[in-house]
Amino acid sequence: MRRSILHLTIILTLLLGLSLLASISWQWFVPGEWFKCPLQGIWCLPVFYLATTYNPELSNYTVNSPEAVTAIVWDYRGLDTLFETSVFYLALIAGIALARGASYKLPTGGELGLSKIVKTVSRLTLPMIITVGASIGLHGHLTPGGGFQGGATAAVAFMVAIVVFSIVFLVEHGVSKDRMLILRSIGLTGIGLTAVALFFAGLILGKNAYVFQNMAKPFAGLSFPWEVNSALISGTLWFFNLFEFLAVTAGFTIAFMLLAMSEAGSEEGVRHE
Amino acid sequence: MSEFIVNYLFSLTLFSLIFNFVLSIYGLFFKPHYIKKVIALTIFSDTINVFAIYVGYRRWINGINPRPPVLIKPPTPGAISEFINSAVDPLPQALVLTAVVIGLAVTLFLIFLGYQLYKHYHTLDMREIRRLRG
Amino acid sequence: MISAELAVYLLMTISSVASTIAVYFAIMEKDLVKAVIYSAIQSTFYAILFYLLMAPDIVLVYLPVSVGLIPGVLLILIGKTERGEKE
Repeated sequence: MRRSILHLTIILTLLLGLSLLASISWQWFVPGEWFKCPLQGIWCLPVFYLATTYNPELSNYTVNSPEAVTAIVWDYRGLDTLFETSVFYLALIAGIALARGASYKLPTGGELGLSKIVKTVSRLTLPMIITVGASIGLHGHLTPGGGFQGGATAAVAFMVAIVVFSIVFLVEHGVSKDRMLILRSIGLTGIGLTAVALFFAGLILGKNAYVFQNMAKPFAGLSFPWEVNSALISGTLWFFNLFEFLAVTAGFTIAFMLLAMSEAGSEEGVRHE
Repeated sequence: MSEFIVNYLFSLTLFSLIFNFVLSIYGLFFKPHYIKKVIALTIFSDTINVFAIYVGYRRWINGINPRPPVLIKPPTPGAISEFINSAVDPLPQALVLTAVVIGLAVTLFLIFLGYQLYKHYHTLDMREIRRLRG
Repeated sequence: MISAELAVYLLMTISSVASTIAVYFAIMEKDLVKAVIYSAIQSTFYAILFYLLMAPDIVLVYLPVSVGLIPGVLLILIGKTERGEKE
């Protein structure tokens, strides 16, 4: 205890002293002004993103979504997000392959899970957590939020359900590993179809269109609708958010269920190799 | 004088992040338990993400405070130019979003691997595993 | 008395210095359950720092992932394996 307080004091003193030294000799560095573009007539990158994210006058460059970060994630740099989703998918497949042969034991009698008070409160709050997660996911093109944020919030509800009730309860009420795999595959297929929808429409109609196209560009004329009865949906962004929410929630639930299952089955599965 | 205090606070934040970085690398190399190494790895990747967002921040010029990169008013040209002059850089935030997801996927995979390691060697102390290898 | 700029920077400094203290205790702690709790405290201070740096999207990702999902998965793994770290 004495040693840790001594170490902590040394670390904090070094911190205060070094930063005093740095701030005395730091008169010329102003971070955060990188995008004060000195060249006339050429836009640099963050100014371009901020100026065209919701600009109905520049209808050839705009994304029609007032949220700049979601527009960058799913429209300007959509291929990055596609590969990030596939990395997550690969990690989940590796986890499922390592835990093959796992099964859960039937109840040996008695009450499973935590006490009655915790179960009653959880029955009230878990549907609320899933609703908040869906709301964050579906409003991603208007406010901060999006598919991944909503999916991670809704997965917390499933983790709490595995601990408070037991995993037997979840499987009996329809949340099994195979059904979650089906939901996850629906989410990933939806992302893939939305990405190539305008490309195939362009091939059929004979016009120019590219993969991951959202709005009309100067050389590619097709575009998704960005308004439904004067409510913004910003083209592909709403569909991407919906399918990503489904895929992320189902993926996390599979991972938790595999970890929480008992060990007897999986050891036999490994020994047979 | 207040300029100096603002510079001091800014550099204090930066140096405490650098100390977090150094402590997490020390924990990754010199602590023998597997789960401690996983904790140090998550602290390491989170600190790198904070550095990326820190670079994208915008200082207070002429008393205008920086705002998140979300357009709130209807898009008239005056509102858009005011938005450009006061919003924070949105590009590092999008890249950090991707980085958080990938770090989470790697951590999940490491947890699965750690469980298989325990079943094979019945311990998670890396020095023991090194001695028992074979 | 204190301008708004100074108050924002002061809050940023307090949360980042508190996160350094939490990281030190998380790395040096021998009991693994306490180390996971200290790591969750550090993640909360990082979430406050993200909010002050005007990045609300990152706060919405970081809070469920680093305070809810990762400590939950680590605690399940600790429950199935051993709890203490030896010398």
